[in-house]
Amino acid sequence: MTEALFEGLVLVLQWKALAFMMLGVLLGFWVGLLPGLGGATTLALMLPFIYTMQPVEAFAFLLGMHAVTATTGDITSVLFGVPGEAASAATILDGHAMAKKGEAGRALGAALAASLVGALVGAVALALAVPVVRPLVLTFGSPELFMLAIVGLAFIASLSSHGGRGMLRGFLAGALGLFFATVGQDPQAGVPRFTLDLLYLWQGLDLVPVLVGIFAIPEIIELVARGTSIAGRLPAGRLSRGAFEGVKDTFRHFWLTVRCSLIGTFIGIMPGLGGSVAQWMAYGHAAQSARTAEERKGFGAGDVRGVIGPGAANNSKEGGSLIPTIAFGVPGSTAMAILLGGFVLLGLVPGPDMLSKHLSVTYSMVWTIVIANVVTVLVCFAFLDQLAKLTTVRAGILIPIILVLVFIGSYTSNNHYGDILVTLVFGAIGYLMVLAGWPRAPFVLGLVLGKIAENYLYISVARYEAAWLTRPVVLVLIAVAVVVIIYPLFQARRKSAHA
Amino acid sequence: MLKKALIAMLAALPLAAAAQNFQGKTVTIIVGYKAGGGYDAMARLLARHLPKHLPGKPTVIVQNMPGANSIIAANHIYNVAKPDGLTIGTFNRNLPIAQLTRVEGVKFDITKFQWIGSAANESTILAIRTDLPYKTFEELKKAKEPVAIGSTGPGANTHDFPLLLKELLGLNFKIVSGYSSSADIMLAVERKEVDGRAGSFTSLRPFIDRGLVRPLIRARASEAGIENLPVDESLAPNPRAKAIMALRSAPEEVARPYVLPPATPADIVRVVRDAFAKTIKDPELEAEGKKAKLDLEFLPGDKAQKILVDVMNQPKDVVDEFSKYIKFGE
Repeated sequence: MTEALFEGLVLVLQWKALAFMMLGVLLGFWVGLLPGLGGATTLALMLPFIYTMQPVEAFAFLLGMHAVTATTGDITSVLFGVPGEAASAATILDGHAMAKKGEAGRALGAALAASLVGALVGAVALALAVPVVRPLVLTFGSPELFMLAIVGLAFIASLSSHGGRGMLRGFLAGALGLFFATVGQDPQAGVPRFTLDLLYLWQGLDLVPVLVGIFAIPEIIELVARGTSIAGRLPAGRLSRGAFEGVKDTFRHFWLTVRCSLIGTFIGIMPGLGGSVAQWMAYGHAAQSARTAEERKGFGAGDVRGVIGPGAANNSKEGGSLIPTIAFGVPGSTAMAILLGGFVLLGLVPGPDMLSKHLSVTYSMVWTIVIANVVTVLVCFAFLDQLAKLTTVRAGILIPIILVLVFIGSYTSNNHYGDILVTLVFGAIGYLMVLAGWPRAPFVLGLVLGKIAENYLYISVARYEAAWLTRPVVLVLIAVAVVVIIYPLFQARRKSAHA
Repeated sequence: MLKKALIAMLAALPLAAAAQNFQGKTVTIIVGYKAGGGYDAMARLLARHLPKHLPGKPTVIVQNMPGANSIIAANHIYNVAKPDGLTIGTFNRNLPIAQLTRVEGVKFDITKFQWIGSAANESTILAIRTDLPYKTFEELKKAKEPVAIGSTGPGANTHDFPLLLKELLGLNFKIVSGYSSSADIMLAVERKEVDGRAGSFTSLRPFIDRGLVRPLIRARASEAGIENLPVDESLAPNPRAKAIMALRSAPEEVARPYVLPPATPADIVRVVRDAFAKTIKDPELEAEGKKAKLDLEFLPGDKAQKILVDVMNQPKDVVDEFSKYIKFGE
């Protein structure tokens, strides 16, 4: 295995592969920064260019491009409160809150350092997991995937504020998210649900316009109302100094970073959970680390751990989601589905062979993710000063630019005016939630997990009737879900007993 | 009067000639799905090679117009796009079913598009795990235990094909729907959550070659490797059942539809049709298609149109019973 690991590295380090990887990184850099223009779409557009490349070069190009979109997507999330990618929305909650406090540099430093650690941990976990990947993936059937979605929803407990009232609001927001996830043609009876007789809603709500609306619009309204720059009236000199502080934060909370990276890798390995779940689970886990009610309130108001968690997870998941794609031919996300098309184009047959005979090629992909991330993070650090300064630009100049990014961003998901309307409607919902003090994270968690939970529950019951409840892994996951829900209550009680 | 008509004719002449020359123009292929799927991949492959075969070598680009399983794109091409040959549409092969079953929102008559043709057909088969005791369709038919078939949902061939086998041929199937993709079902087959699935032969072939599943029956459209499988229609117990199965299969012969807006002049249609026929036979495109595992087979527009006219002319009782089983989707 070590031999394959080394061979994989040698494959990537050939100058042509490396050159193509850098080209991919350069493209992915911009794709990640610009909201809406997603990694998956860009991959589809780039596929025709790989016809004439060698397999290793082509993967270096495609994967290099894909691997960095999550990293640079975080930058847009932190700076403007606009998700650069659907997979980097969770970074907004604390990252952008930090930017508003004048800590954009620190937030970016933490996000980038966490991305790097995430990519590295993900790659190492993957390299170690190769021998057990097949049994692991095959153990997780529909009942287990359903329970994973439930565990994800259980994290709402730690995403809500403490106390009965906070919990109630959190779970209600989650329920609202679940409700919106049911919009569209249902996959069991083929009946259109809540589509208001609009063709646009048949396919359900697209994540990007919803996320852009619910997070970016309230920020814009607030910015208009304040009329200052994003970072208020803070002296400009303080901004970039924090970048190194952010890196130190990542290592101060090193085990949290590692744990969130492992969450990301694990969610990535599970096919069928999709690309945007990992960051929210990681955010939920990061929020669990708040020891007091006081600390808990800090989450969403600019706690650096809320940046580190999702930052690490959305990079580590990439390595993970490669596994089902190459070992089973089952893509874990849209982007991976398109990559799979690339594999086929190059004559590589996904299947068990990729974990034995062609292991070095598999490892070359892992190396590509690592190297692409290292390069991107280093380049980003070079520009961090300039980037952080954007938060001191006057609102009058910044708002039109952000608005253009927001609306073009959401419009690119379907090229339909409906995307704009969805952004506006969810912008209004998001704004009301902020005003009323309702948490937005549980809402998004419900939206992201709704379809998954519904489908796998249906399949589990249709296939096993009630017997699925007695499967051992399901029982373990039920216990995990209960612990995740009770933990914050228990924490709150212990604190009040001490006081 | 005569003079005026003559002038009008003369004025129209260069226009018609110009319309057939695409020099300096941009031809747009509108795809009814997002970038990345099978319809999109085919359109992008064609877009790369089409310019060589169109007069004047225009630029050909692909535009994605997703939504409502392609109904939005089809409505646009039918009602909005200019009939000047510069907008070509490709969409869900099952749109005829949407029209037939009166799905709300359909604002087109599928038979009135100017049909360029179909770039490929799709052969649907049903395959089950090799470790099950059923080696032939006859044996499967006698299964005592229900056989679990995974599906992505109504309207997809993973669902409708086994559904008709169950309802019309009386197979002991338990259809489990809601998987997110056919690859997802394949994984469920691998972990023995379900016993098999239906789908295109192309997507199932690697798993057949690997010995995971065995094909037992196919629908009408065929290709090398599955010619000898029994065909669902030939096993139908009565003409009504046969008509229903035939109706489900019909769109699969027009699996990658390409159309022009209804009012497109006949000479432009002819030029585009010829260009498509030549493009699909282009050795460079064939080589790329082979690499991408996209099987191409051109079905000219007039033949495609005929198949669809037949679909639309079914007697009401057949359509009514068909609608009981089949919903439009995917």
